[in-house]
Amino acid sequence: MSARIIRLTVLGALIAAACTPGTATVQPSAPPAPAVTGVPDTGPITLTIWDQEYGQVSRVWDRLNAEFEQRYPNVTVKRVKRDFNELKTLLRLAISGPNPPDVVEANQGWPDMGQLVKAGLLLPLDNYATAYGWNDRVSQNVLAVSSWTPDGKQFGTGNLYGYTTMGEILGVYYNKQKLVDLGLGLPTTFDEFEHDLAVAKQAGEVPIMFGNNDAFPGIHEFAVIQDRMAPTSDNTDFIFGSQGTQLSFDTPANLQAAATLQNWAKAGYFTPGFGGGGYQDAVNNFANGQGLFMITGNWVVGDLGADNRDFGFFVLPPKEAGAPPVSTGGAGYPLSITATSEHPDAAAAYIDWMTSDHASDLLVPTGQIPLHTGATASTVEPGTVLADVVAAAAATTASNGVVPYEDWATPTFYDTLTASIQELMADRITPQEFVSKVQQDYADFQSSRT
Amino acid sequence: MTTTSRTQVTMNYLLLIFVSGVAIYPLVGTVLASLYPSGAGNSPTGFALPSGFHWGNYVTAWKVGGFAGSFTTSIIVAAVMVPASVVLSILAGYGFATMRFRGSKVLFYLFILGLIIPTEATIVPLFYDVRAIGLLDTTWALILLEVSGEVAFGIFWMRAAFLSAPPSLLEAARIDGASSWKTLWKIMVPFARPAILTLTVLTFADSWNEFFLALVFTISHPTAPFGLASFSGRYTTNIALVSAAAVIVAIPILIVFIVFQREFMRGVLTGAVKG
Amino acid sequence: MDAEPSVASRAVAVGSRRRPERLPGEARRIGYLYIAPAFILYAAFNLLPLGQGVNTSFYDWDGITPGTWVGLHNYTGFFTDPAIRSGYVHVLILMVFYAFLPIVLGLFLAALLSRIRIRGLTFFRMLLFLPLVITDVVTAVAWTWVYDTHGPLNTVMNAVGLGHFIPSQGWLGDFNTALPAVGVFGLWGSFGFCLILFLAGVMKIPASLYEAARVDGANAVREFFAVTLPGLRYELQVVLVLSVIGTLDTFDEIYVLTYGGPGTATTVPAYLVWRRAFQSGEVGSAAALGITLMLIIFAVTYAINRLMERGAEP
Repeated sequence: MSARIIRLTVLGALIAAACTPGTATVQPSAPPAPAVTGVPDTGPITLTIWDQEYGQVSRVWDRLNAEFEQRYPNVTVKRVKRDFNELKTLLRLAISGPNPPDVVEANQGWPDMGQLVKAGLLLPLDNYATAYGWNDRVSQNVLAVSSWTPDGKQFGTGNLYGYTTMGEILGVYYNKQKLVDLGLGLPTTFDEFEHDLAVAKQAGEVPIMFGNNDAFPGIHEFAVIQDRMAPTSDNTDFIFGSQGTQLSFDTPANLQAAATLQNWAKAGYFTPGFGGGGYQDAVNNFANGQGLFMITGNWVVGDLGADNRDFGFFVLPPKEAGAPPVSTGGAGYPLSITATSEHPDAAAAYIDWMTSDHASDLLVPTGQIPLHTGATASTVEPGTVLADVVAAAAATTASNGVVPYEDWATPTFYDTLTASIQELMADRITPQEFVSKVQQDYADFQSSRT
Repeated sequence: MTTTSRTQVTMNYLLLIFVSGVAIYPLVGTVLASLYPSGAGNSPTGFALPSGFHWGNYVTAWKVGGFAGSFTTSIIVAAVMVPASVVLSILAGYGFATMRFRGSKVLFYLFILGLIIPTEATIVPLFYDVRAIGLLDTTWALILLEVSGEVAFGIFWMRAAFLSAPPSLLEAARIDGASSWKTLWKIMVPFARPAILTLTVLTFADSWNEFFLALVFTISHPTAPFGLASFSGRYTTNIALVSAAAVIVAIPILIVFIVFQREFMRGVLTGAVKG
Repeated sequence: MDAEPSVASRAVAVGSRRRPERLPGEARRIGYLYIAPAFILYAAFNLLPLGQGVNTSFYDWDGITPGTWVGLHNYTGFFTDPAIRSGYVHVLILMVFYAFLPIVLGLFLAALLSRIRIRGLTFFRMLLFLPLVITDVVTAVAWTWVYDTHGPLNTVMNAVGLGHFIPSQGWLGDFNTALPAVGVFGLWGSFGFCLILFLAGVMKIPASLYEAARVDGANAVREFFAVTLPGLRYELQVVLVLSVIGTLDTFDEIYVLTYGGPGTATTVPAYLVWRRAFQSGEVGSAAALGITLMLIIFAVTYAINRLMERGAEP
């Protein structure tokens, strides 16, 4: 009897186990275009939203949510706030469960949205986009970065899985008074900027406020330098992976960017102890008057205050004077509908509300950049930090100089890039090692796609 | 032993006090830190008292950290999991201790295996299994997994407890013709009450402290430790607030520990010593 | 103990007419019923997944689409995958802090403290036990304060003039100190348990053995190695097994303290399992890692037990 029990148990386990794991995923097809846009009046609906907004933007969201509930009294909006890192790590698990959120902020790119599309966890939005006219409100670029083929194998084309009308841009904030005190003017070339860094350091100021404990800020620092080292026309293809193994991260431009970043770190241009410093701390300290520059994105306007005149913003200057502005940015965090949501129509109405002109008007003062057609910067007062940000974004978009985020390039690129940048800035690896390591990730992924 | 000098005794007590102090310093320090004014950059040095006792931090932490919800989840999980686990362990421990049946030895060893199977070895397939039966992201998943993870130790423990019963006890039951069920609940369980209490307390501690499983299986209804981890990740530099949250999560297990410390000690020491 | 006779006598008094057919301890099929509930649950959620995990480990699988068979490839991770290799290296280093140091310190202190009668031992035990009993997410959060830039550790170091040793990136943010910092946390956590266990064990050693040693002219050190240590063999075995396994399992504090960073300086196998299975879609590799961990734990447990038992021969 005992032997038989054992045999049965083992056999059972083996039989249950001995099959290829994973089944062909059923990809959800886009729901039909709603006959009537808006929330169906089919009884009480709770929409659960997962987002990572904080500060001023978060307060605007709360207000927009309340207004949405007023418009559609049968809807309750339940907001689950997470921070950037946590949202990234937990989103996949959360959506896989039987009670997923309805609307989520899923970061574009291979690591997040791509994986979710591949797993059949996101709903294609195309029919809603047609019904609500989303396709006409933003440029093709904005739509492309949230587009995937349903099998998740191609990026930049196919169905639409996320939508936003607000954008981002990376650049340099500066403390106006400090600049004057140091006898410096606004740098117009890359060399001038580096000169400014040296002068600030000499004078005992922190040239660049920075804290990389959360790992993602390092991407900002690297990206803006990278954008200035070489033409970026291939960047979008690189990130989409549309040229497969033909493109490489191991380029002289990237090598130079890595070397520059490392040199800046070694020269002590960043906040001392930046490796263990928090991102929000650096922002808060900068807002309180510490440091000369801070290299990060437009959303910090929310922390500084839109009508703040003590700070300004500019895109990292080019190598040659007069060259058009180029910087990383583009579409902001899009909103997506989960495939198993029970209220896709309501969710779509919600997305439409959150991307409306009204929402945009509320969000612009927090530093969000409107990308939709007909967006006016009328509420922006000249001379404020917000004005600088909006102007920089407009100029960069106009010259077609907006580069998507590098960490979108492979499913593991975010991890590889952030960890490697930390090592690079801590002088633990050489620029060449950095570039090779990151390229290894890219090459492995591209060859696995064939 | 030879008499030891008074200095030696004093030195030893000082040593003991020092070591115990080190053991609780971070915890005491956290309580103190929680009373500092909330806000980043207000980091308590650990050697000064705060200007005032900011009890408000606890209210803020409780509300912002959503601990009403996560405490409820943790309590529900423990309330179901602990009795279930203990009862199952009693039943199986009794079976192994007092009955012979073909394969009992092998089956027992299979359970013992569970003592050293790490969660990492099973968590990957478990995720897909749990999802397949539609229990992903529910408290039931957590309950079931915790129980199945706990019974290995529970059975080992209860079997040992029942084995230590004097044979006369079982003799009396046999003479009387009591069924095994009656024997278990009317005689063996009262006999093993201390052991059962210890098991209950240890099981509760394991349930309350569980983090890894909660991280994977109940994201939408976090347990208290998970809630704390999220909260602390979001407010890393606000030491006072995060400390308040930590204290909040520590209180239930602390109370249980203080009240039942004898059982805890017994559980650990005899469990360890008896092997 | 008072309840049983009355119950038994009551039972006798009732005088069942049923003939006692079976002795407890005799072969009884009903035993299967008793163990069934626990076994079903256990088989379903522990044994079955184990088998499935082994199966999954032979595939390259992203968790979604059908996987591809790769045989033992995932198990070569230690040799082919620097991330996995460094994970094991880190755990080995942590073992010094989680197992070796607490044991050595615990032994030493137990030997010292055993010479006196300790009053209020229960109270001290409670304090020493706290680090282990309190949820490790809580204690890890407590230690983020300890390691904070303005926290007690730095305050003390500055006060005694060691300020220049404080890493500028912070203890948990510096590539060199992050792992030892986690280690010290583990040392703090395990140490009290070791001390309590060894103290309890030492008190069981008969005084006569010490007498005999003293008669033979042994000094304190000789006493330790000749009497104390052998007398603690069993406790040592238990602590060794528990702490070594505990180190291999480390996850919670990594998640709270460092997220595996800076860079990959504090990644450990359990953390890698979680990341690969649920973040980066390398499920087959994660499964193999989990199974390997289990095998290592088996091997280590077996080795420690054999070693200890062999040494027990007189």
